[in-house]
Amino acid sequence: MSSPSPVDPRVEKTALTDEGLISVHDNVAAGKSDAGGHYRMLPLVLLFVFSGLIIFAVTYLNRYSGHFRGNIFDERQLPSNGPVVVAKADPLVLGKKQYGLACVTCHMPNGLGLPGIYPPLAGSEWVAGSDERLIRIVLHGLKGPVTVKGIVYGTAAMPAFGQVPGSGYNWSDEKIAAVLTYIRQEWGNTAAPISTERVAELRAKAGSRKEWVEAELRQLP
Amino acid sequence: MITVPPNHASAEADGIDASARCPLGLLTAFALLWLVVGGALALLSLLQLHSPGLLADCAWLTYGRLQAVQETVFIYGWAINAGLAAALWLLVRLGGDGLRGANYVILGGVFWNLALVLGLVGIAAGYTTSHPMLQIPRYVQPLMLVAYAAMAVPGVLAWTGRRTVQTYATQWYAVAALFLLPWFFSATQVMLTFLPMRGTLQMVVATWYAQNLISLWLAPVALASAYYLVPKITGRVLPGYDFAIYGFWALLAFGTWMGGRHLIGGPVPAWIATVGIVSSILVLFHHIILFVNLRGVFRPDGSTVLIFVAIGILAYLLSGMVDAIFATHVLAMVTQFTYFQQAQQQLTLGAFSMILFGVLYYMVPRLAGATWPSVALIRAHFLSVLIGFVLLVTSLGMAGWVQGRDLNNAAVTFATIASHTRPWLQLAVVAQALMLLGNLLLAVHCCWLLCARFAPAALSRTAAREVVVS
Ligand code: HEC
Repeated sequence: MSSPSPVDPRVEKTALTDEGLISVHDNVAAGKSDAGGHYRMLPLVLLFVFSGLIIFAVTYLNRYSGHFRGNIFDERQLPSNGPVVVAKADPLVLGKKQYGLACVTCHMPNGLGLPGIYPPLAGSEWVAGSDERLIRIVLHGLKGPVTVKGIVYGTAAMPAFGQVPGSGYNWSDEKIAAVLTYIRQEWGNTAAPISTERVAELRAKAGSRKEWVEAELRQLP
Repeated sequence: MITVPPNHASAEADGIDASARCPLGLLTAFALLWLVVGGALALLSLLQLHSPGLLADCAWLTYGRLQAVQETVFIYGWAINAGLAAALWLLVRLGGDGLRGANYVILGGVFWNLALVLGLVGIAAGYTTSHPMLQIPRYVQPLMLVAYAAMAVPGVLAWTGRRTVQTYATQWYAVAALFLLPWFFSATQVMLTFLPMRGTLQMVVATWYAQNLISLWLAPVALASAYYLVPKITGRVLPGYDFAIYGFWALLAFGTWMGGRHLIGGPVPAWIATVGIVSSILVLFHHIILFVNLRGVFRPDGSTVLIFVAIGILAYLLSGMVDAIFATHVLAMVTQFTYFQQAQQQLTLGAFSMILFGVLYYMVPRLAGATWPSVALIRAHFLSVLIGFVLLVTSLGMAGWVQGRDLNNAAVTFATIASHTRPWLQLAVVAQALMLLGNLLLAVHCCWLLCARFAPAALSRTAAREVVVS
């Protein structure tokens, strides 16, 4: 250390008494100091800086506060005021899933059913034919003898799947449309897809009823 | 041989310092004891991070508990004992009258540390609360609150009974710290421990508490010390001091809201995190004023105390900036839940410790009425904690950054991440060991000073003592 008065770290010097410390600083705070004007610009600079910080803060708050609502958890994805957009599921994917959930137990994974009990869906004229008949079968179910590919079935019944009274499944129209679109394009079937709106329309038309019988269906277009 | 001119040390305020000798000496002794214990535990828990097998079958010392114990020892053992000693001494000094109510400090200090021991045993036995920075089990929390209140009494007396009407920044900060801790400590105890709030609200309260502990206690105590030591040693009036009051209020007003930034992406409403981020930016105003006021500290003129304080202030300013920058969403996504947060925390706590070391080097000789016996020990302590501190923060910071980058990349496996962070963690172990060594030296040095001063059979009743007391 080359300073004129060497500093002894063993006991630090004191250059100001406690009273002196308080009083000189109190003078400064009372505005009596700064004769040399070294800090004349300081208030301005600090004001400037503080305003800058405030502006930034307010902008940030405004953009990312999620309107201070308790139910907004991601400040970058605010709920829009426009119509609610719900992602559409691919009907074939949804249909395959629905088929695997229920139909598969009777109509089998290969869509061929069980001879004598459950009719086939692959190559069935009911599946490929009138969409109105097909939709109604799955919405409300089917009972009694029915001829599929020239063979008469009738020992078991086809349950109702739609959101109709007495249905144990209560599938939405979307799910019904999806599963029908699926069976109409699987196992070599090549019929047109079925829309959710069409299912909804027919469900509204049929109202509350029991399972269909073949004769009734044959009268429909 | 260096001569110490008389009237330098305790001659200035002999009576005042003598009145504070016993109580504050006791707190300092507790603080140093915990500092060393905490350092050893921190070293152990860091070792476990990269060799997880260490002590793995001793339930009491497994990583989770050890980490909690170590954090508690550092905050409630070292920081609060040392911080209270400093805050009380500053208030008593500036109050201009002796320390009144010394017995409260002694009683409170004994019970505080007793409660702490009970709490640590509780944590090690598995009764931790699992709230960061408030791991002490519920049964000791009220006791600690009462003990703290007792210890703070002389500070309040020194403030209300001060000789001068005018006040100084040191007093604002110290009094604020004394009063604020009981407020947020008791509020948190009610909301978390005795009438616990439901679900995620607990998390919000816990982060609020942890932030308050830093912004409304550790920081004010450290700054009170810095505001005192800088003009006291340099003899220069602080530049731009008329703004100090705004800096003070900015810290109190914004600091308490900063905790929310830790909850980015958490299961809480988005505004809580956003308010936290905004507050961490607004509080920079406080840091700017602090820099304007205290920049004289960066010309320490060879004063060891000021060098310690300078490093502490630098670390404090840096941590303010890092907190603000890394609170923002983009960066927080990388650094959250990584070692980087530990690095940030170490930077803040290290800033506090550095400033407190400065106060200790200034205060202890005056309290004891004797000079430090060895210059070499002071230098050794300084070098080892400085190098250790810098190494620890950089290594944890790098480990965190690497870890955060890898975690966000689904292709990198956990094992690879671990191997990437390993070298940095090894460096952190070295750093922690260095700091432990340094702090051990400080404790030994303190004992030596006490022996030289008070032991009847001391080898030499050092010349220094006579010089100082004369
Ligand atoms: C409980 C067993 C069972 C389940 C489950 C079942 N069905 Fe049927 N299904 C039948 C039976 C039995 C018939 C014949 C009804 C009759 O004999 O009147 C039938 C008939 C049909 C028919 C008309 C005949 C044909 O083979 O073309 C279609 C179309 C049909 N089911 C589609 C479905 C779809 C789609 C599902 C899944 C949503 C499904 N079924 C689920 C038992 C079932």
